[in-house]
Amino acid sequence: MIALWIVLGLIVLILIWGIATYNGFMVLKRRIENAWAQIDVQLKRRYDLIPNLVNSVKGYMKYEQETLNKVVDARAKAVSAQTIPDKIQAEGALTQALRGLLAVVENYPDLKASEEVSTLMEELRNTENLISFARQFYNDNVMTYNTKLSIFPANVVGNMFAFKPATFWEIAAAEEREAPKVDLTKL
Amino acid sequence: MSVFSFWEEQRKNVTRSYLLIFFFVILMGGFGFLIDYFFETGPWFTVVFLGVALIQVLVGVLSGPSLVLSSVGARPINPLDPEHKQLENIINEMGIASGLKPLPKIYYIPGEKSINAFATGLKSENAYICVTEGLLEALNREETQGVIAHELSHIYNKDMLYMTLLSAILGAVVIIQVMAFRGAWLVARTGGGRSRRDSSGCAYAIVFLIVVGLLATIFAFLGRILLFAVSRQREYLADAKAAEFTRNPQGLASALRKIALTAGKVQNASIATAHLFISDPLKRKVNEKEGFFANLFSTHPPIYKRIARLEGKSPEQVLMELEQ
Repeated sequence: MIALWIVLGLIVLILIWGIATYNGFMVLKRRIENAWAQIDVQLKRRYDLIPNLVNSVKGYMKYEQETLNKVVDARAKAVSAQTIPDKIQAEGALTQALRGLLAVVENYPDLKASEEVSTLMEELRNTENLISFARQFYNDNVMTYNTKLSIFPANVVGNMFAFKPATFWEIAAAEEREAPKVDLTKL
Repeated sequence: MSVFSFWEEQRKNVTRSYLLIFFFVILMGGFGFLIDYFFETGPWFTVVFLGVALIQVLVGVLSGPSLVLSSVGARPINPLDPEHKQLENIINEMGIASGLKPLPKIYYIPGEKSINAFATGLKSENAYICVTEGLLEALNREETQGVIAHELSHIYNKDMLYMTLLSAILGAVVIIQVMAFRGAWLVARTGGGRSRRDSSGCAYAIVFLIVVGLLATIFAFLGRILLFAVSRQREYLADAKAAEFTRNPQGLASALRKIALTAGKVQNASIATAHLFISDPLKRKVNEKEGFFANLFSTHPPIYKRIARLEGKSPEQVLMELEQ
């Protein structure tokens, strides 16, 4: 009789633990989805900002047509990217192109003095930071989730309900890691 | 430095802080118990102490951040000013990095030329970050970001709650101390005129109240030391957390270097609000010294030690660099 109660008690305890673990996974999954949506919001904000920025600096930067074209092309590619790996790749290229533009603007005192341009530049810098912090927050959550998913005994519950490891937002293009280079010989 | 070491640092700090608060509560309980035990006064002293403590806590929790903000002359920022707009952007960035919602409101102290900042508010729904005008002028974007991340960490970690509770308990002890000494004085003055029969009872009451007062003095002293210790731990923790949020310890380190090298005090800061600021607004010497007493009585860790932790250098080296 006592043995039966012990077995029953153990089953109940395991069930409670299983439910708690399952809920833990669900909470983390929602948080990851939410973080991903946050990245999306920031990326859209960047798409909207770029045309304004390019228009307002175009007049000052006649000799930097190449830098501007790079930005415009990269934006077009990023907007049209369909799959997630493509998207990550295209956004990386866009980030790189924008950093190049930011670095070049530093060399135009007229530009920096213009209130319109400096406001747009601050907005751009802000958007760039928001994207990288959103990505950081997303990756941190993915790490917590994936770690939990791979560690015993939580992984038993994870496998039972077929939770899949989430994908990190890796920095795809190697050049995105590099500091932007500025060619001073042109000036 | 890897991300994991920040998390380790943070966990260590949280454990230490809990231990300190636990120790403080034990001290308070021990104080009430001692009196009740030695003077056989039943549970009355414990009840009175708890009542005073409760009122203190309620006042601390209910008075809110508006009192602190108005005491230093803070005003809301104006998003039309580019510098203020940048500050607002930085707070939004740190909100994304920390996942903290809702974001604290931003105030600044116009005309205040020293470089400093503080956070106040017990919950993130009703939290404020306040910077001096000098900070906006002197720090670049990365440095400001580091300072804001530090302040946001205080809110994130609910440091204000711990600190408010601790100072409320400390306030309760001080009230008991004052009440006991006043009581002893009152009994001595009014009791003297009565008949001889009562004088031994009077003497007993005076001795009793003086003992209570002295005990309260000792506990207030120990409590203050603990409060300072918690305050210093919280500063290190907020530095570690800021580095985790920004992934750029150099930004905050460089801001701290600028703060260390400017001499100005914050005009409207007082001893009551000093522990809130990112670095001691009164620039008290004790906060930059080393040694037993300095360690006990400073609200902030020495700034060069904080820089050393952020930059991964030895404190001696940072001190040498600062003195150059």
